[in-house]
Amino acid sequence: MDTVKLYLKSMKMLLRSQMQYPASFIMQTIAQIVMEGGEMMAVLLIIDRFDTLHQWTGGNLLFFFGMMSVTFYLTECFGRGVTGAFPSLVRSGHLDTFLLRPRGVLTQVLCHAIDPRRIGCIGVGVISLILGSRQSAVIWTAGKALLFLESILFGSMLILGLFLIEAIFCIHSVKSIEVVNALTYGGRSACQYPIDIYPRPLRILFTAVAPFALVLHVPSAFILDKPIYSLPGFAAFLCPAAGAAFFLLMYGLFRKAMTYYRSTGS
Amino acid sequence: MSYIDVQNLSKSFTLRKKREKGKLLREKTEIQALKEISFSIGEGELVGYIGPNGAGKSTTVKILSGILTPDGGSARVGGLIPWKERKRHVQRIGVVFGQRSQLWWDVPIMDSFQLLRDIYRVPEDQYKKRLSNLTDALDLGAIMKTPLRQLSLGQKMRAELCGSLLHGPGLLFLDEPTIGLDAVSKLALRDFLKEENEKKGTTILLTTHDMEDIAALCSRVMVLGHGKKLFDGQLSHLLSRYDTVRVIEVRYGSGILPPLPDCCRMERNGENYRITYEPEKMPTAQLLSLLQGAGEIRELTAQPQNIDHMIAAMYKEMDL
Repeated sequence: MDTVKLYLKSMKMLLRSQMQYPASFIMQTIAQIVMEGGEMMAVLLIIDRFDTLHQWTGGNLLFFFGMMSVTFYLTECFGRGVTGAFPSLVRSGHLDTFLLRPRGVLTQVLCHAIDPRRIGCIGVGVISLILGSRQSAVIWTAGKALLFLESILFGSMLILGLFLIEAIFCIHSVKSIEVVNALTYGGRSACQYPIDIYPRPLRILFTAVAPFALVLHVPSAFILDKPIYSLPGFAAFLCPAAGAAFFLLMYGLFRKAMTYYRSTGS
Repeated sequence: MSYIDVQNLSKSFTLRKKREKGKLLREKTEIQALKEISFSIGEGELVGYIGPNGAGKSTTVKILSGILTPDGGSARVGGLIPWKERKRHVQRIGVVFGQRSQLWWDVPIMDSFQLLRDIYRVPEDQYKKRLSNLTDALDLGAIMKTPLRQLSLGQKMRAELCGSLLHGPGLLFLDEPTIGLDAVSKLALRDFLKEENEKKGTTILLTTHDMEDIAALCSRVMVLGHGKKLFDGQLSHLLSRYDTVRVIEVRYGSGILPPLPDCCRMERNGENYRITYEPEKMPTAQLLSLLQGAGEIRELTAQPQNIDHMIAAMYKEMDL
């Protein structure tokens, strides 16, 4: 509880210091809306050309797209310390400072940065979700709403876990992070669309290795009343836990990596 | 019972060299930053820790403050193993790196202090008391609402010190705290540290290249070179071994100084002569009579050897 309070206070302070440069904030937010809006246009274009993609209607696709945008950019907004700032924390030796304080390192890394510009991208995602839900005529129930939140929460943990791999590489001062980026950003781009449109190798990759399909697609399909992988209904509530499992695994490795942390000279 | 107890502490780093042509793997070189050093420091001591760049001073401080894990040996600080019981350990220590800020860059230092209060879970009444004491002692009142980035180096260092003491640590590690400070700031900082040590009994380990810091503050010094402890004892003992040279400056109204024996080094600048000699080989009285015989002396000053020269001589003898 105490940790949550600390996080909120840090966020408040960071926002205040970022708002010292309002013009830059507005410009960058607009730029991001344009970028993410462009991605959404791509989905709309597909819908325009083909009425359906496999079993999915245009509304369905918008819903999948919205799920990914909201989850991914929420993570980038609040997990900025891990998703963007970490390499510079290591290089500048700022990580030393975190080790000097009686709090968890990951807690402090998360408290260190926020990226409010992502609010634009999240907004695009929300619009896409609303449109998708309307066009697919989703009948919302309490169960579906709960599943929706569960999916976003565990989805964020999965993405945070993926960025943690990058952090671990960074601690071991390995620079070739392209492999990880293929999973993280590749996963984001690919899994904006439902998993079952992809060939088998990609399906395996995003189900068993980086389980975007389990965390985002299975619940979304359940909400849209079109189960994939012919799974029973309750499975939709269990599958997202894969995101938490992935995160915990990476968190364990991260802690182990920290014992090898060698700091930088002064 | 000593407060800090270090036994045979070792730490090495592996450096990866750039890959050579035709080789698949990069070559690795291992650097031994610390080679089995041992020492102990009692509660309330103020110990200076010196040595040339790259000697392993910062590595020691980083291990003792829980940032790095050593390869071998043991260390206990107040009964705790720093890198194993990190959170409990750091609650009781304060660390200031002269070249690395621990406060937040863009916000008023007051806000940084409040966040530190939450991070260290300092009770409100204690926080208020300490903050008002430190504000007075470090003269921070006027800059409390200024963001860190707008402060001068001296102001920054005072703010850093305040931040590192808010949770009331019994042990303070200072890594080159006076680096880049002007004379006034340096003196003020020294006074503050002396008081902190004498009145509050805070144990202090001070790493520095500034020998005046050491001379002003520390009775005990440890010298580190190439990862080994070379000296541990009183500063005066250390200096007496290298304090072998004296300098006399003399200005003549008329007359020319004849050549002096080989054991004296003479530099001439117009009428001014600067003579460096070793009293053991050339007794001062004998030198003075030589000088007086050469002509009419206008001015004569005798100086002790510069402390930096002594340290340089020591490093040279120790082959650092």
